[in-house]
Amino acid sequence: MKFRKKLGGRVVVPVALGVAASVGGLALFSQGAVAATSTGSSSTSGANSVTYGGTSGAGSAPITNVKLNPATIALGKTLFVENCSSCHGDTASGTSRAPNLQGLGAATIDFWVSTGRMPLADPTVQATVKPSRFTKQQTLAIDAYVSSLASGGPKIPEVNLGSASISAGEGLFSTNCAACHTITGVGDALAGGVYAPSLYPATKTQVAEAIRTGPGNMPRFGPGNLSNQQVADIVKYVKYLQHPNNAGGIGLGHVGPVTEGFVGILIGLGSLMIAGYWIGGRAH
Amino acid sequence: MSGSTPELEQELDGEGLLKASERRFERAVGVSFALSFLATIGLGVVYWQGGQTQLEGALLFVALGGIGFGIVAWGKYLVPQGPYVQEREELRSTESEREAFVQSFERGNKLILRRSFLAKLLGASVGAFGVITLFPFIRSLGPQPKKMLYVTNWKKGSALVKSDGTKVHSTDLEVGGVLTVFPEGHAGGAISQSILIRPSFEDIVTKPGRETWGPQGYLAYSKVCTHAGCPVGLYQELTQQLLCPCHQSLFDVMTGANPVFGPAPRPLPQLPLEIDPQGYLRAQAGFDEPIGPGFWERA
Amino acid sequence: MNYKPIDWVDERLGTAKFTRKSLNKIFPDHWSFMLGEIAMYSFFILLATGVFLTLFFVPSSADTVYHGSYAPMDGHVVSQAYASTLNLSFSVRAGLVMRQMHHWAANVFIAAIVVHLLRVFFTGAFRKPREINWIVGSLLLMLAIFEGFLGYSLPDDLISGTGIRIAYSITLSIPIVGSYLASFLFGGQFPGNKIIPRFYTIHILLIPALMAGLLGAHLAIMWHQKHTQYKGKGKTEKNVVGIAMWPAYAMQAGGFFFLTASVLAALGGLVQINPIWLYGPYIPYKVSYAVQPDWYMGWLDGALRLFPSWEITGFGHMIPTVFFPAVLLPGVTFGLLMAWPWIERIFTKDTGAHNLLESPRENPWRTSIGVGVMAFYMVLFFASSTDVLANTFDVSLNFVLWAFRVLVFVIPPIAAYVAHKLAAEAGSVESAGRPRKAMVVFRSNEGEYTTEESDPRPELEFKRHAMHGDIAQSLPEESRLHGEATEKADDGEDYAFSVSSVADTPAEEIGERPSGGSGVYEVPRGAPGSGGGMFSPRGPVHSKEVSDSEDEE
Repeated sequence: MKFRKKLGGRVVVPVALGVAASVGGLALFSQGAVAATSTGSSSTSGANSVTYGGTSGAGSAPITNVKLNPATIALGKTLFVENCSSCHGDTASGTSRAPNLQGLGAATIDFWVSTGRMPLADPTVQATVKPSRFTKQQTLAIDAYVSSLASGGPKIPEVNLGSASISAGEGLFSTNCAACHTITGVGDALAGGVYAPSLYPATKTQVAEAIRTGPGNMPRFGPGNLSNQQVADIVKYVKYLQHPNNAGGIGLGHVGPVTEGFVGILIGLGSLMIAGYWIGGRAH
Repeated sequence: MSGSTPELEQELDGEGLLKASERRFERAVGVSFALSFLATIGLGVVYWQGGQTQLEGALLFVALGGIGFGIVAWGKYLVPQGPYVQEREELRSTESEREAFVQSFERGNKLILRRSFLAKLLGASVGAFGVITLFPFIRSLGPQPKKMLYVTNWKKGSALVKSDGTKVHSTDLEVGGVLTVFPEGHAGGAISQSILIRPSFEDIVTKPGRETWGPQGYLAYSKVCTHAGCPVGLYQELTQQLLCPCHQSLFDVMTGANPVFGPAPRPLPQLPLEIDPQGYLRAQAGFDEPIGPGFWERA
Repeated sequence: MNYKPIDWVDERLGTAKFTRKSLNKIFPDHWSFMLGEIAMYSFFILLATGVFLTLFFVPSSADTVYHGSYAPMDGHVVSQAYASTLNLSFSVRAGLVMRQMHHWAANVFIAAIVVHLLRVFFTGAFRKPREINWIVGSLLLMLAIFEGFLGYSLPDDLISGTGIRIAYSITLSIPIVGSYLASFLFGGQFPGNKIIPRFYTIHILLIPALMAGLLGAHLAIMWHQKHTQYKGKGKTEKNVVGIAMWPAYAMQAGGFFFLTASVLAALGGLVQINPIWLYGPYIPYKVSYAVQPDWYMGWLDGALRLFPSWEITGFGHMIPTVFFPAVLLPGVTFGLLMAWPWIERIFTKDTGAHNLLESPRENPWRTSIGVGVMAFYMVLFFASSTDVLANTFDVSLNFVLWAFRVLVFVIPPIAAYVAHKLAAEAGSVESAGRPRKAMVVFRSNEGEYTTEESDPRPELEFKRHAMHGDIAQSLPEESRLHGEATEKADDGEDYAFSVSSVADTPAEEIGERPSGGSGVYEVPRGAPGSGGGMFSPRGPVHSKEVSDSEDEE
C-alpha cells in the first residue's frame, strides 16, 4: 500500500467553489467555442503526430515498432544523466525518490518524456502534460539509452490508421476507455486527487503507448486483451474525438449536462427574463 | 377593424397627431416584421436546399424574434397602457347563495339515500370493478420478482468470456490489466457482468475463506455497484481501486472490494475463479450473495 | 358593424357576453409576472417540437444494425430507439434543430417553473385564496421533472441508459413493494426490452395529458381569482391595476411567446445539447465517466453522492441506502412544498385572503426560510458535479465530496441568517425598493436657485406624457376621473392614460352591471390614499359622465 501514500499529498484548497464554478463554466464554454470552430470536420487529422525515423517496413500492419538507432545511445545517456538521473539514478535503476525504469520498455519512456510529463515539475502531484523539454530526436535518444540498459517492455508503436476502423474503435473505446476518460475523451477526476487526463492533446503514438504501458493509474492493455488492430481502431476513434462532429453547434466542452444546464438556465432563461423585464417593467 | 366607419376615421384623425417617438416605434416594429419575413424566406431556401442546423437555428431566431419583438413593441408603445383599474369580485358566494346550494344538494342526497341499500350495492359493485380492473394494469406488466434478484448466470464451471464471446485465457491479461467478463453463453449480460483484474500477486489480502478465489493473481468482482447499480468500470491501477463513475463509490480491490469511500454500503461480490487445464479461466461457483444494490427482501 | 363570424358564433354559443368581459380583463404589469409565461410558452414549444419528434422516433429496444450517415456508428448493433434518434439528427431535414429545441425547451421550461415558484413563494402569492393553485403548480413541477427524465431517457444512449439503471435501483429500494414495482415497471429484470416503449407512452401521452389538464386548471383558477399585484399607489386588496387584456396585454403576451420560441430556436440551432452520437448506444456493461443527469435532476444526483453509506438491515429486511436520498428526500421535498401554505399559517395565524403581494423584505422570516431551503438544494445541485468540479479546479475528488457533505449543513443556515438580516434591514427602510425622489432645481429669473422634491420623478412623468399625455390633457375636466380620488389629485396633470381606451368601453355596461367587476376604469396616477372602493364601479352617475362626454365628442 506504499503507493497510496505517495498520492496523498496533492490537496489544493479551493478558494470558493461557488465563484470558481461560474468561472469554470465560462472556461468550459470558451473551450466549447474553440471546439466549434472545427464543426463538421470528421476527418482524423494526424497533423500533430510525431513522425519517427527508422520505422521498419511501414507496410499495412496497424502497428509497427520504431527501431531505435544504437548510435544515439551516447547522446541519450548524456541527456538522461543531465535531466533524469537525480531521481532515477545514473543507470535508471531507481532511487528512493523515483522508480526503476529498467525493463519498462522504450514505449514507457517515450510516453512520459514526449508528453512532457517527465521530467516532473513538482514531484508531489500527478505528472501533467506540458511541452516536452526535448526534441523528437533527443527523446528517441533517451528511449534508446534506457531501453539499452535492460531488455523487455513494449517498444515504441507507430500507428498506421490506413486499415483502422473508426466504428470498431468506438465500440472498443466505449468498453475500455470511456469509464475513466469519459465517452467524449475530455477526462475527469479520479479518487485520491488523481485524474484521467483529457485525450485531446494526445498523438497517435502516445495513445498507443498509453494503452500498452498503462502509465500511472491507467490499467495496462496487453496484446492478449487488445490486438494491434484493435489498438489502431481505438487510436483512430480518439483522433476523431479530438475534432468530433459538432453537428448541433457549439460543443460546450463535451462535458454533458453540466454545462448544458448552465447554458439553459443562464443564457436561455436569463435572456427570456431580460425580455420579460422589458415587457413587464417594474412596479409603478 | 374592417370597413370605413366613423370610429376608424376618428382614429385616423388621431394618428395625424402622432408624436415623433411613436413614429420611431412604428418604424422599429415595421423593420422587425420585415426582418422576420426575410428570415422566413431564407429559412424556406435553407430547407429546400437540404437544411443546415446552425442556419436553421439562426434564421428561426430572427424569424420568430422579429415577430415577437414587433408585436411586443407594438403592444407596448403604440397601444394605450393604462393603468386601468378593475374591481375584484368577492370570491365567496353570499350566505343565501350558499344556503340555496346546500339545500339543493341535500335534496338530491335525500333522494338517493332513500334507497340506501341500492346505494350500498352500487358502491360495492363499482369498488369491486375498480379493484379488479386495476389488476391487469399492475400484474400484467411484469413477472413477480421471486428469485430474480438473487441469481446471476454464473454457475460452477462457467468459462469467463469477453464481450465478444471469446474465452479468457490466463495469459490474456498482463499484470495491471483489466477486462469486463461474462459467463459463457451470456456475453454482454447486464446482471452477470463482472470485472476481471490482474493486480500484482503479492499484495492481495484475501478475506478468510477466499484464499483460492484468485489464481495467478486474477480477481473477479461483480461489475454492478452495490449503491445504485452502475457499472464499476473505472480501475485505478496504481492505487488498486475501483471507482464507480456515477456516484464515486470507491472499492479497494486488494481487500475484497471493500467500499472505502463514497456512498456504496457493501463490498462488490467476488467471483471465485479457477484456471482449467487448458489455461482458461472459469468460475468455481456463482456469486455467494445477491449482486448490485439492496432491496427490501434482502436480509 | 359587420362582424358576421362573431354573430354566427354568438348566436350558437352566446360568447359575446362573457368574452367581452375577458377582453377587458386587467392584468397587473410586472416583470416577475412573466416568469410563469416563460414556462407556459416553453411547454407549447415542447408540445410542437415533440409532435415532430414522434413522427420519426421509434420507441423500441429491438436490435438493429445501424447503417446511417454517421460513420463512427456504422455497423453497430443498436436499439431502434437509438438508431432512429441518430437518423432524426442526421438524415431528417430540420430534425436536429427540432430535437435540440425540444431538449433546450425542457431545460428552460423547468428552470422557468422553478423561478416562477420562487417568485410566488417569496411574495406570499400562495396565501389564501390561492392555495389550490400552489398545489396545482407544485404538481406541475413534479410532473415536469419526471417528464424531463423520461424524455431524456428515450434515445437509449449510453449516458441516459445509465440513468435508467439508477432509476431501476431507486425503484428497487422502496420498502416492501420495491422489487415488485421494479419488476412490473421494467417487465422483469433490468434492462429487459419493455422500458423504452413504456417510457415513451408515459412521456408522450400520460404525463403531457395530465400536465395540459393541470396547466388549464392553473390558468383558469388564476383567471377566475384574478392576478395578485404588488403594493403601490391606487392598488388595494379589492382591485386590480394594470393593462387591459385586449389589445395591450394580448399583444405583449403573444409577442413574448414568439420571443421565447426564438430564444429556444437559437439555442436549438447554435448550441449543441445531448450529442447522443458521441455517447453511443446504451450497452449495460459500458459506462462513461462524468455521467450527470439534466440539471433539474441534479439535486437528486447530488443527494445520492453525498448521502453516507448507511443501509438499514434487520428482521430479515433491508432499507437500501438509495432510498433515503432518492425516494424519501423528494417525497419530503414535495410534501413540504405543497403543505407550505398551511405550515406557514400555523405560525402566522393569518386566515385572511390576500391579493396584494408582500415584498420579500416585508416578511424576513419567510424570506430567510426560503433562502435557506434554496441554498440546501443549490448545494445538492452543485454536488451532482463533484467529479467535474474536482477536475476543472484540480482538487481532490475526495476533498470535494467531503466539502459538500459539510457545506450542505453549513451553507443553508448561513444563507438563511444573512437573508433574514438583509430582509429585516431593508424592510426597516421606508423607501426601500422605490425609486428615489428626484430633487428638481429651479432657477428663477433673478438667478436664484431653489430645490424642490418631485415625486414621482419628472422623467418618468415625461415618458408617459410623451405617449398619451397630450391627449389626456385635451379632455374636458369632467371626463376624467370621479370620486374622492379626483378631488385629491392636484391638478389633473397626472392623468396619464389614454382617452381612447375609455371610448372603447361601452359605458352603459360599466355602470349598470350589478356585479360591477368587468368594467374598465382609469385610475388617476399619483392619487394618494386611494383606498378600497374609491373607484366604485357602481356609481352610475360617474359612468354616465364618461359616456356623456364621449357621446358629445
